[in-house]
Amino acid sequence: MANYRIMVIDDENVVGRMIKAVIEQDPEYTVETFLNATPALSRLKEEKFDVVITDLKMKGLDGMDVLRHVKQDSPGTKVIMITAFASLDSAIEAMRGKVDDFFPKPVKIKELKECIRRLLGN
Amino acid sequence: MKISHKIIFANVFNVLLIILTGIFSYHLLDLVLTKLRFTEIADDLNKSFLEMRLSEKNYFLYGDGAALPDILQKLSESKSLIEETKDDIVKATGEENFQQLNESLEAYREAIESAQSGGEAGEALDESQPQEAENAKAKAVEASVREAGQKLREFSSRITRLERTNVNDIISGSRTGLLTSLVVILIPAIAVGQLIARRMLGSFKEIEKAAHSISEGNFSKVELKVSSDELGSVIKAINSMSEELSNREEIIIQSKKLASIGILTAGVAHELGNPLNNISMLAQGYRELYDSLSREERLNFMVEVEEETERIKEIVKNLLDFSKPKEAHLIKMGINAVIEKSLKLVQNMICICNIEVHLCLSDGLPLVMLDVHQIQEVFINLLTNAIQAGSPGDAITVTSRPGEDGGGVEVEIRDNGRGIPAEHLPHVFDPFFTTRGTSGTGLGLFVSYGIIKNHHGSIDVTSEVGKGACFTMRFPACTEGDRN
Ligand SMILES: Nc1ncnc2c1ncn2[C@@H]1O[C@H](COP(=O)(O)OP(=O)(O)OP(=O)(O)O)[C@@H](O)[C@H]1O
Ligand SMILES: [Mg+2]
Repeated sequence: MANYRIMVIDDENVVGRMIKAVIEQDPEYTVETFLNATPALSRLKEEKFDVVITDLKMKGLDGMDVLRHVKQDSPGTKVIMITAFASLDSAIEAMRGKVDDFFPKPVKIKELKECIRRLLGN
Repeated sequence: MKISHKIIFANVFNVLLIILTGIFSYHLLDLVLTKLRFTEIADDLNKSFLEMRLSEKNYFLYGDGAALPDILQKLSESKSLIEETKDDIVKATGEENFQQLNESLEAYREAIESAQSGGEAGEALDESQPQEAENAKAKAVEASVREAGQKLREFSSRITRLERTNVNDIISGSRTGLLTSLVVILIPAIAVGQLIARRMLGSFKEIEKAAHSISEGNFSKVELKVSSDELGSVIKAINSMSEELSNREEIIIQSKKLASIGILTAGVAHELGNPLNNISMLAQGYRELYDSLSREERLNFMVEVEEETERIKEIVKNLLDFSKPKEAHLIKMGINAVIEKSLKLVQNMICICNIEVHLCLSDGLPLVMLDVHQIQEVFINLLTNAIQAGSPGDAITVTSRPGEDGGGVEVEIRDNGRGIPAEHLPHVFDPFFTTRGTSGTGLGLFVSYGIIKNHHGSIDVTSEVGKGACFTMRFPACTEGDRN
C-alpha cells in the first residue's frame, strides 16, 4: 500500500489540526502541519512530499513564496492553495496555471481529500 | 491705484517736466538769438554811424562838400535797415528804445540837412553876408550836428552794451534754469521709481509669505490685505487658490475616509474569513471524527468553536465602534482624572505582566472638552499596546502637561518596550495593521485615531526599535463658549 506524504501550512492551528485528523483516517496518508512557511520549507528540503496545502495570506513568507520554492526544488510535488473567500480575483488569476488547485475558505475537507486523490492519480 | 497707472502717472509727470524745460530753453535760445541778431544790426548801425561821424569831421574840418550827401546817403541806408529789422529791434530792446533810436536818427538827419542848406546858402550868399555872422551860424550848425551825431552814437552804443549784458544774463540765467529743471525732473523720477519699487517689493514679500505658507500645507485662507493694484488681483488669486486647495483637502480627506472604509471592508472580510473557516473546519472534523472522539474531546471541539465566535464578536464590535462613532458626549473635564481612571482599568494586566507605571501629571492644566468613555478607550488602547510591547520589569510613563503652544493639554504615553520598526511607523494607525498575528485585530490605534480627531486633537508616534515607543496626544483647551 502506497504511503503519501502531505504537508499543511496555515497560521491558524485549527486548519492543520482538522485536515490532519480527517485525512489521516485513511492510513494511506501521512500529514505534517506547520504554522509558518519558513520551517515548512526547510522540512521540504529534507523530505519529499507529494502534496503541499498552503494558506495564501500568512505573516512572513506567504503562499506564493511557498509555491515558488516547491515548484523550484521538487517540481513533482503538487500544490493546493487555500485562499480567503474575499481574495482579489487578480490574485486568483495570478495563481491559475501555477498551482495545481485552489480552495476558497471555508474549506470543505471532503472536497480537499477528493482533490488530493485526483492529483495523486488514483 | 494700479501700479501701471502709477508708472504712467510718473512718466506723464516727467514728460511734462521735460516738455516744460524744453519750451523754457527754446524760449531762452530764441531770446538769445534775437538779442544776438540785434547786436549784429547794432554793430552794422554803429559802423555806419561811425562813418557818418567821420564824414561829418571831414566836412567840418576840411569843408569837404561831398561829405554831407554822403552822410545823408548813409542815414537813409541806416533808416531803411532799421525799418527792415524793426521787428527784431523792437523784440530785443522794446518799442520805446526803437522809437528813441528813430528819433535820434531823425534829429541827426535834420541837423545834417540844415547844415547842408546852410552851406549852400553860405556859398550863394557869400558876398552879401557878413563874415562874422556867417561864421557864427556855421558854428551853431556844426555844434548841433555834432551834438545830434554824438547822441545817436552814444544811444546806439549804450543799447548795444545793454543788450550784450542782457545776453550774458540770459545765458547764465538759462544755465541755472536748465540745471534746476534737471534736478526737478531727476528727483521726482528717482523718488517715484523708488516709491513704486518699494511698494511692489512689499507686496511681493507678502505674496511670497503666502505662497510659502500654502506650500507648507496651510490652506486656511491667506490673510492678505488686498491692495487695489495688480498685486491685489494676484493676492486675490492666491486667496481663491488656497480656498480651493482647502476645499480639495476636505475632498481628499473624504476620499481617504472612503478608502479606509474600503480597506476596512476588505479587512473585515479577511478577518472574519479565518474564524469562519476555523468554525467550519471544526464542524467538519467533529462530524467526521465523531465516533472516534471521546466525550472530553467532543466538548473541546465546542469550546474551540465558542472561542472562534468570540473572535468574530471582537472584530464586529471593533467594526461597529469604528463605523458608527457614537455621538460623543463632551463635557468639561480635567484630563488627569481620565488618565487615572483608565490606569485603574488596566491595573490587573499591569500587575500580571509585572510592568512599572510612572505618573507625571501636571497640576493646574486647563480643562478640555471630552467624552470620558471614548478618551478612556484611547488611553486603554495605548496602555494595552505598551504593556504588550514590554516584557516583565519594563516601565510605562504617563505624562500630562500644558500644550506646547500655550493652549490645550498634552498627554504622553511612553514605554521602553520593543519599539516599532521605521517601516511599520506609517501604518500603525491603519485599520487591521497588526504584528500580533491572530491575537490582535489591528483596530486599536485606528479607532483611537478617529476618537482623537473627533475631539479636534491630534495623536502621533515616535519610536526607536529596542528603545520603546512614545504616543503623544494634544487636546485643545475648552473655550468660554463651551458648555460645562
Ligand atoms: N507601544 C507599542 N510598542 C510597539 N509596537 C506597538 C506599540 N503600539 C502599537 N504597536 C504596533 O502597532 C500595531 C497596531 O496596534 P493596534 O493597537 O492598532 O493593534 P493591535 O494592538 O495589534 O491589536 P488590538 O489593539 O486590536 O488588539 C501593533 O500590532 C504593534 O505592532
Ligand atoms: Mg492594540
